[in-house]
Amino acid sequence: MDVWQELIFLLGGVPLTLSISIIAFLVGIIIGLPLAFIRVYETEISFIVDAYEKIFRGIPEIVLMLMFFFGLGLYFPFPFNNAFFVAAFVLGLRSGANQSQIYRGAIRGVGDEQMVAGQSVGFSKWRAIWHIMFPQVLTFSTPGLGSEYALLIKDSSYVWVIGGLAEIMTRSVWLKNVPPYDVITPYVFAAILYIALTFPLAFWLDKWGNRRKKKIGL
Amino acid sequence: MGKQEKEKNRTVKTMTDVVMEARNVYKTYGKLEAVKGVSLQIRKGDIKLIFGPSGSGKSTFLRCLAMLTMPDKGEVYLGEQCLTKPGVDLNKARARIGFVFQHIYLFRHLTALGNVELALREVLKLSKQEARERALAALKEVKVADCINRYPAQMSGGQAQRVGIARAIARNPDIILLDEPTSALDPELTGEVIDSLRDLAKEGTTMLIVSHEMPFAREVAEEMIFYDEGAIVETGIPSHFFNSPNSDRAKKFMNRIINRTTRE
Amino acid sequence: MFEFVSEFLPWIIQGFTLTVEITLFGIFLGLGIGILLAIGDLYGGKLVKGFIAIYVEFFRGSPLFIQLFLAYYTVPALLHIPLDPYITAFLVFGLNSAGYQKGYIKGAMETIYEDQMAAGLSTGMSRAQTLRHVIIPQALRILIPSWTNEFCSLTKSSSVVAYVGLFDLVGAGREIIGITYDVLAVWLVIGAIYLAWITGFAKIMDIIYEKKKIPGVELLMQ
Repeated sequence: MDVWQELIFLLGGVPLTLSISIIAFLVGIIIGLPLAFIRVYETEISFIVDAYEKIFRGIPEIVLMLMFFFGLGLYFPFPFNNAFFVAAFVLGLRSGANQSQIYRGAIRGVGDEQMVAGQSVGFSKWRAIWHIMFPQVLTFSTPGLGSEYALLIKDSSYVWVIGGLAEIMTRSVWLKNVPPYDVITPYVFAAILYIALTFPLAFWLDKWGNRRKKKIGL
Repeated sequence: MGKQEKEKNRTVKTMTDVVMEARNVYKTYGKLEAVKGVSLQIRKGDIKLIFGPSGSGKSTFLRCLAMLTMPDKGEVYLGEQCLTKPGVDLNKARARIGFVFQHIYLFRHLTALGNVELALREVLKLSKQEARERALAALKEVKVADCINRYPAQMSGGQAQRVGIARAIARNPDIILLDEPTSALDPELTGEVIDSLRDLAKEGTTMLIVSHEMPFAREVAEEMIFYDEGAIVETGIPSHFFNSPNSDRAKKFMNRIINRTTRE
Repeated sequence: MFEFVSEFLPWIIQGFTLTVEITLFGIFLGLGIGILLAIGDLYGGKLVKGFIAIYVEFFRGSPLFIQLFLAYYTVPALLHIPLDPYITAFLVFGLNSAGYQKGYIKGAMETIYEDQMAAGLSTGMSRAQTLRHVIIPQALRILIPSWTNEFCSLTKSSSVVAYVGLFDLVGAGREIIGITYDVLAVWLVIGAIYLAWITGFAKIMDIIYEKKKIPGVELLMQ
């Protein structure tokens, strides 16, 4: 295989890399947003949020993936025998913890006055959250979310330890182990590929986020 | 009344009375010529006030005098010592100059007492006991004794700036340079700072102030210096400026200022 | 189910030790290099800033796995010299962490450096004195949360070294599983150890932060 064929082979892993990250990101939103609002506005049960965050920021993703795939996979082959599921699931749970923090910071950044204003026009607490805080929080958290998404793209490489998913990392290792046993180009290309995936996103999200912040006066 | 007396009793000052002098100082920031060949002498006991339009370079000139910014050309003298020569111990020189910043710049991680003590211990090498006593005395002088254990974030702007003044005077410097000490404060808070400055003036402290607080200027300053576009345009006693300035630019500026003050 | 713990405790301890070593080394090396990068980015010329931008983009934009494999397989192949596995791992983590720490440090510097240095100089203190008594005390306080974050992050990512043959905590887990085949139990224990270590450390840092906190200084952090 020559250099260009290797590159094309690596490119073939991009869809899977992106799919894992996107799904993990969405899972993260579904988990993170409610958790953030609960943490800020319902303090009696906020310890649940704390525990959740601690767990998923305190255990390495690799350990979780190994645990789910090789451990739980023995007892529950569906769905834990599926590498894609395990990767997206673990990263999604982790992302939920990270995003919960991001949204929390954004809620604080938007400020309590907005909530108070919302309730002063007659909204109940949760309706005010939905109509007033929610849109602003999304704008405010865009830069943080950008870096979280970039993190997911990079962490998708962890799926290599459970094997079976031909995303970028797995493919680059595979290239090393087959003739011509090239150890240079696969990894260099892979690095460039990942950077190409993470850089523009973080950059533009940052810019967009800051511009919108200025526009709505944050 | 007190000022006129002082003017009458003033003896002829000799060269050795010159505390600081700028000779033909130049300083450019990028495209902006902030200081264009400015010369100025300040003698012991002088209270001079520099005023003028914003952006004219007044603060830059003050910083050049204090050697917080290095002049591009020209000389700065502290007493007989030329500070712009290479090889000069600027730290020792700056220890003899007190500087008060527009944005206060207190050491955020120290209390008011700590702010004033720090240089006394580290620069003057006083013992902890002595440093504390002198710091307390300085803070009492500017009337912030109730703030001594508070952190900058816990003080009002006026209190913080007065601590800044205490920090500047505690070392008993030869001269105090003040860069728009009240400009960053809320209007109600400027009064307390101006009171402190008035007290300092009464004691004969040598001061060079950049400010546009006209009432204070009229009352305390012995000489006013109109500074515009990087150079000194006109100098004179306050009544000169308030009644009939010479240059057009000074006239225009005074009109604007006076109109603003009377409108309040 | 967890009987293996007492039997394989020495391995677990050995693995844990390496994990801690890599993390600590990585953070301190990252701090040293990060300071240089931050200073270079603040005061350097276009060439320096460009280099720093590329450096940061590389280490923050690519997975640690790839960086590690580049160091272990690609670099020796290019340079034709063998590299010590441990030193290589330490270096990679240090360089990686520096990429992140540069951002934190630069942020702290931009917030406090200019005005506090001017204030310090105005009282007659030298640059060095001001750095020691004014700038660094404030910088340390501002940076504690970022460092806590970096520590947690680094500890978790240190797990990749098990895949270049180093005996860290994950490596120990793999060895134990190779003997007992008790997959779920082993990973639960290993996971719990990581959890306890990271959570405990973060808690200690939080306490330190609370004790050293000064009103007004923490408001500077975003």
